[in-house]
Amino acid sequence: MLTLEGVTKRFGGLTAVRAVSLDVREHELVGIIGPNGAGKTTLFNVVAGYYRPEEGRVFFAGSDVTGRAPHDICRLGLTRTFQIVKPFGNLSVVDNVMIGALTRTPGVRAARSDAERVVDACGLAPYATARARALPIALRKRLEVARALATRPRVLLLDEVMAGLNPTELGGMVDLIRRLHAEGLTVVVIEHIMAAMMRLAQRIVVLHHGEKIAEGTPAQIVADRRVVDAYLGEEFVLAQA
Amino acid sequence: MTALTRHAGAVVLFGGAAVVPLVIRDAFFLDSLVLILLWGALSAAWNVAGGYAGQVSIGHASFFGIGAYAGALMVTRFGKSPWLGMLLGVVISIGAGLIIGFLSNRLKGPYFALSTIALSQVLLIAVSRWRGFTAGGEGIPVPFRPGFATLGLGHVAWVYMALAVAILYYGVEVYLEHSRIGYQLAGVREDEDAAEALGIATRALKVIAVTVSAALTSVCGTLWAQYVGFVDPAYVFSVDLSVRFALNTIIGGIGTALGPYLGSILITVLETYLRATFAGMKTGFTGIYLVIYGAALILVVRWAPEGLTGIAARLRARAAAGARGARAHA
Amino acid sequence: MDPARPLGPAQIDAVAQLGVSTILLGGIYALIAVGLTLIFGIMRVVNFAHGEFLMLGMYLAFWSFTLWRVDPYFVLVVAIPLFFVVGLVTYVLVMKGVITASHNVQIFTTFGLSILLQNVALVAWSGDFRFVRPWHLSVALRIGGTTFNLSQVVAFVIAVVLTVALVAFMKWTHTGRVMRATAQDRDAATLMGIDTDRVYRLTFAIGIAAVGAAGVLVAPLYSVYPTAGLQFVLLSYVVVVLGGLGDMAGALIGSLIVAAVEVAGSYVFGIAWKEIFYFLLFILVLVFRPAGLFGQRGSETLGA
Repeated sequence: MLTLEGVTKRFGGLTAVRAVSLDVREHELVGIIGPNGAGKTTLFNVVAGYYRPEEGRVFFAGSDVTGRAPHDICRLGLTRTFQIVKPFGNLSVVDNVMIGALTRTPGVRAARSDAERVVDACGLAPYATARARALPIALRKRLEVARALATRPRVLLLDEVMAGLNPTELGGMVDLIRRLHAEGLTVVVIEHIMAAMMRLAQRIVVLHHGEKIAEGTPAQIVADRRVVDAYLGEEFVLAQA
Repeated sequence: MTALTRHAGAVVLFGGAAVVPLVIRDAFFLDSLVLILLWGALSAAWNVAGGYAGQVSIGHASFFGIGAYAGALMVTRFGKSPWLGMLLGVVISIGAGLIIGFLSNRLKGPYFALSTIALSQVLLIAVSRWRGFTAGGEGIPVPFRPGFATLGLGHVAWVYMALAVAILYYGVEVYLEHSRIGYQLAGVREDEDAAEALGIATRALKVIAVTVSAALTSVCGTLWAQYVGFVDPAYVFSVDLSVRFALNTIIGGIGTALGPYLGSILITVLETYLRATFAGMKTGFTGIYLVIYGAALILVVRWAPEGLTGIAARLRARAAAGARGARAHA
Repeated sequence: MDPARPLGPAQIDAVAQLGVSTILLGGIYALIAVGLTLIFGIMRVVNFAHGEFLMLGMYLAFWSFTLWRVDPYFVLVVAIPLFFVVGLVTYVLVMKGVITASHNVQIFTTFGLSILLQNVALVAWSGDFRFVRPWHLSVALRIGGTTFNLSQVVAFVIAVVLTVALVAFMKWTHTGRVMRATAQDRDAATLMGIDTDRVYRLTFAIGIAAVGAAGVLVAPLYSVYPTAGLQFVLLSYVVVVLGGLGDMAGALIGSLIVAAVEVAGSYVFGIAWKEIFYFLLFILVLVFRPAGLFGQRGSETLGA
């Protein structure tokens, strides 16, 4: 479904992502973890078309999408969310989602009813007419997901949608992601917090200093020596796991 | 809300403008009305790029000047109809709009604004220096030849001409507010990266918005030149003019269909009033008027960024809440 | 009065003439631009009214000279503290409120300020072109086989001294270091207990003092009128963009480049076309090197 072959992204002298290969199968729920600065978001930016990699290729649904514009990639069926949420602040929640829906549904009326369905499914119905900027962070993260869903993606890239949530909110987000996955969506999740990931992902990829240092089931990952070393400086994160 | 109540402001404004020439024949009054409508339409044209797409240009005088000169030169140099000049102006403005649109993809916020000023300054200098063709800094008087084909119209006819353009542009913006492209532009304006992630071709969309805005501005430039009967580079390409389009819109309500017209009324009436009040002063009214203008800009942007339409909406919401409260008590 | 046009005989060596003209002009542009770089780099605010403070400086020189026969170079002693205070007041009244606002708010606020100041000048002093003609304007100096007037040379020397003093202040004093730290990371600076409001106030005041001083210095070299600032503000932005945002050394090199383009452009195409070169250069730089010729520090945050 989504294949990365030896992707390398440099900024000046700094290599943010080094020769990362990855294969995400249809209906899979893959987690990407790693300490801050490991290159997770950079990797998403390469996959979603925001950065062009210096080396390597990205294939999506059988075609080479390396260096394609983000909107093209979205239209092909791969939509990402942003770690630092980017709501259309002055618009209502439902308008935010509708702008996503308009990518698949050209008619404004039809797009609005699509949007309302998605808003409902994401538990945002009570806030449908609120201005996006007025929402608390947990709901803005949800809006980020809802808006992406409205583009009817086949693969959804979620960039730290659980960071900064309290335990209840976190549980809600985990449930939402599980449900989307159960409904047939392929999901790739970036997370800094291992705990949530252990419960959620079928397969986990660990990035460290821009390189893939491990890949496997959650059980394999916690037992992996290199992973523990990479996280040594961040014991509190492991402790939560 | 029915269509009529939603556009009540526009119905009152444009309906009033349509009725007034039937009653009042005072030339000064009709002149003010034509200018209000033309400035309103020009501000509406700016609003397409600056308000709806969020590409704030301070060089829209470029397109105004292109339209004005295309019309004036078509008449004076080639002896052809100003309508043909309007068409040519639109074609050139589309070209210039594509350049500005391209810049909007490379540059953001203040840099984009600066580059638009630079473009208008380049045009100002080029037109001022190319004396052989444009008559340079002295400007060109546009001869008045009565008739629709030559745009030699009386005051009343000009009111209806300006009104037609104003209604047309209002219609364009109402369409924008309710169409797919309008929503997508709102996305681009609010957050470009997010819009791009949602499958919106942000770059193409910005170029389209800026180019349409340029073409609409150019049309009014031609009309203005034919109405006033004189063009000179220092005015038609001035930064002041560009700022005026923006200011009308901001004061009226940026990104709303009615805002540019409300702003135009307020500013034109204020200008006329101050002109009358300070006409006796040696240095003229221009300075005082612009001092107030500058101060108004600072205050509005800071304290009422949503302009007159925003204030009206807030009052309406409060009134509605009050009515609900009264009903709840009853 | 155009500093790009030397007074000497026509047969002088063109290259030396252009070279010296470039350096003289570049030094003055540097002082104008360095204040803008400071404000732009540290506060991340676009100040469209920057040129108007230059214009006010020019008028200060004009009136001091016309009313009391005070030479512009002595006016500097008053001008620098005066414009420092003007900067403080402007910051408190206008800039403080918009520093965290959106770019559009900043653009229109400073534009409003620009219109306001231009027209205050228009109402107070009319739109007439004024000239400051101190004695040193007609003293010819030969430099590198080329003739220049003394005003140009002194303006250059003072501009360079002031610019260097400012660069040194930023580099070596505690306050300067605090200001640069704030430029690099506003949030971190706040966390470290730096009073950012105080830093911005100081930055703006210093920036305005620099451009006001520049206005006084250039008054004998250009005509003085209410919109005299416009061409300089655009030019300063060219310099700032060329040199990289907030990079003071970059601004010095940018000034020389802009001066060279202007001098060479006027020489080849004639004085009448010289402004067109700033603007074309400006658009080209923005399009092809929006991050400046030497780097990209800070351009992302400004662009966002």
